[in-house]
Amino acid sequence: MISDQLIIDRGVSAGDEWITVPAESVHEALAALRSDGYRLLTFLTCVDHLADHSREWPFRFEIVYQLRNLETREQLRVRTFIDGDPPRIDSVHDLFPPANWDERETYDLFGVVFNDHPDLSRILMPDDWVGHPLRRDYPVGGETVEFSEEHERWQTAPDEA
Amino acid sequence: MGLEELAESLGQNVLTTTLGKVVGWGRGNSVWPAQFGLACCAIEMIATATAGVDIARFGSEAMRASPRQSDLLIVSGRVSQKMAPVLRTVFDQMPEPKWVISMGACASTGGVFNNYALLQGVDKIVPVDVYIPGCPPRPEDLLNALMILQERIKAQGIQPRQ
Amino acid sequence: MSTPEGVTIVKTGEKGHFGGEILTVNFGPHHPSTHGVLRLIVDLDGEMIRGIKPVIGYLHTGIEKQMEALRWQQGVVVTDRHDYLSPPINNLAYALAVERLMGVEVPPRADALRVIMSELTRLSSHLVWMGTSGLELGAMSMLMYCFRERDTILDMNEEISGFRMHTSYIRPGGVFADATPRFLEMLDKFIGEMPGHIDEYEDLLTMNPIWRARTIGIGRLSPEDAKVLGATGPMLRGSGVAWDLRKTMPYSGYENYDFEVATSNDCDCYGRYLVRIREMREAVKILRQALDRLPDGPVNVDDRKMLPPPREELETSMEAVIHHFKLFTEGYSVPAGDVYVAVESGRGENGCYIVSDGTHKPRRVKFRAASFANLQALERMALNHMVADMIAIIGTADTVLGDVDR
Repeated sequence: MISDQLIIDRGVSAGDEWITVPAESVHEALAALRSDGYRLLTFLTCVDHLADHSREWPFRFEIVYQLRNLETREQLRVRTFIDGDPPRIDSVHDLFPPANWDERETYDLFGVVFNDHPDLSRILMPDDWVGHPLRRDYPVGGETVEFSEEHERWQTAPDEA
Repeated sequence: MGLEELAESLGQNVLTTTLGKVVGWGRGNSVWPAQFGLACCAIEMIATATAGVDIARFGSEAMRASPRQSDLLIVSGRVSQKMAPVLRTVFDQMPEPKWVISMGACASTGGVFNNYALLQGVDKIVPVDVYIPGCPPRPEDLLNALMILQERIKAQGIQPRQ
Repeated sequence: MSTPEGVTIVKTGEKGHFGGEILTVNFGPHHPSTHGVLRLIVDLDGEMIRGIKPVIGYLHTGIEKQMEALRWQQGVVVTDRHDYLSPPINNLAYALAVERLMGVEVPPRADALRVIMSELTRLSSHLVWMGTSGLELGAMSMLMYCFRERDTILDMNEEISGFRMHTSYIRPGGVFADATPRFLEMLDKFIGEMPGHIDEYEDLLTMNPIWRARTIGIGRLSPEDAKVLGATGPMLRGSGVAWDLRKTMPYSGYENYDFEVATSNDCDCYGRYLVRIREMREAVKILRQALDRLPDGPVNVDDRKMLPPPREELETSMEAVIHHFKLFTEGYSVPAGDVYVAVESGRGENGCYIVSDGTHKPRRVKFRAASFANLQALERMALNHMVADMIAIIGTADTVLGDVDR
């Protein structure tokens, strides 16, 4: 059972249940949830909240774990917030094998470092790529489109403009 | 056999033409594409080889797995920054004379993906002979591109590529 | 982590079991039988695979970043192209996610049309899989048969949406347009003919000694492994686990259709083949029910803030013109929040996780790709098999590299 001390906040977003846990105890919380029956990690990803004024965010990066219980068909989203340069969080690949590649992808595209990951290297971008493309201050890139104001904003980072 | 009779019999059995035309005819009707599928367009490229459309009518059904045996590179789909060096290596391995068809919007210009990950047009790394619009183009479009290419090859003859 | 019991991984240069040394070999990314641009680094002991490491990213398209730069309704076009063998199912996942955030329910006719398009896509996706896998394992005529029916399906796509592959037919708020009478006629004819065609494929493959020799007992994946490794779709059902999102977590009214979840207890490549054949039969059943019970009514929600007004109104109503102008210059905004919606594609769980910050563009769109998770099970399946079997295993895993790399 996951103890209530680990849960900072809980709620429902558009019908999906979620809880927030502190970043330093994410491994402990997920291990508890796994023994509660949430044995499948559907996906793991990161959301960059740079310059997002719609709500209050504790830190810039939000790591999201979507869990599923295959017996009761319940779903639960676990969130945690981190910051830092680079942001660091514990790896959960030992609890959920699919997390291995998901964590590599998150490292590649967001620059989040997962402690104790067996092979934390770039997975989608070339090995010598500089930067982490899905961060909000990374420009969309591509070529300039004539007469398109919108595209000029893509060239610079969307959230710094 | 007299000389006049000899000339008459030759006229019935021998065709005279230029060497360039013969070579162009031969090359143009046996263009072997490299089997190099990338993305969505590759599925339509496979469809071109099936019975409904039948690229074999134009002598190009022999898709070669090795670039060393092929004359034509059909860039069928989006080329990412990671794939670009590989594509160039495949192209370099092909023997001269060789041709390139850029199939679909992504290969030609980047298509709907104007972003960091994709090469905005494969003509930045290899010389393209025929561009096909569409996302993905119909199999018939690929056949049309092949026919355009055949006309060019036939006109080129034995002249080296410019 | 994914090494089976009793198998020791040995590295290049170490002595193998057959007297030779372990050799590390590179396959791909340009290799004729790796289903696209998959690259594999394989440790070989003679012909036996002792280690296998997929290297992906050769088709990374930046789709998730692109979505952040596009408005909500523009994003539909991009969703088509990540899993390029099942575009309408990708559309559906995205559309359902946006609708959940906006709290919108589509009319029943739209739901039925969405089911019809999903099942047609499942059929065409399985047909491409069967044709190309047959080709790789030496059954070349399969390609000709399968692509014949696939072309019929694509003709129907063209009739209903104007495009062969990337239809963008399913959109937030409904579908692009109502089905034409000609489409319904074509569909009726197709449903009548398809079971006969599936029999034809089974005649060619199911008892074919070469096909059986190359798939039975190859690429075993136990039910426990399949669940733990996050495999979904025919990979999971081929291991005997009856998990199908259409049954377990129904969407778009799938709970109203009578169909069975195809499973097989073989747990090998042949089992996955059987699952796909059965799924095709079930898909035809669903199509028949959907067509017979197709409700009348509108195919889009009646919300001018989300969808453009009908053409006729533009000539008579000033308000309609304003709505039209606002929609196409600014787009609509989606309430702040996040949502995850998963649908069953031909490959497994195709999910869409959306975060909105209340503006007219998404903050983050994450696609949960079925192939991405299924490909991770490759190591477990391929170890201690011959190199030639690896082709069968990659084939029946049915990875679409566009889906893996996005």
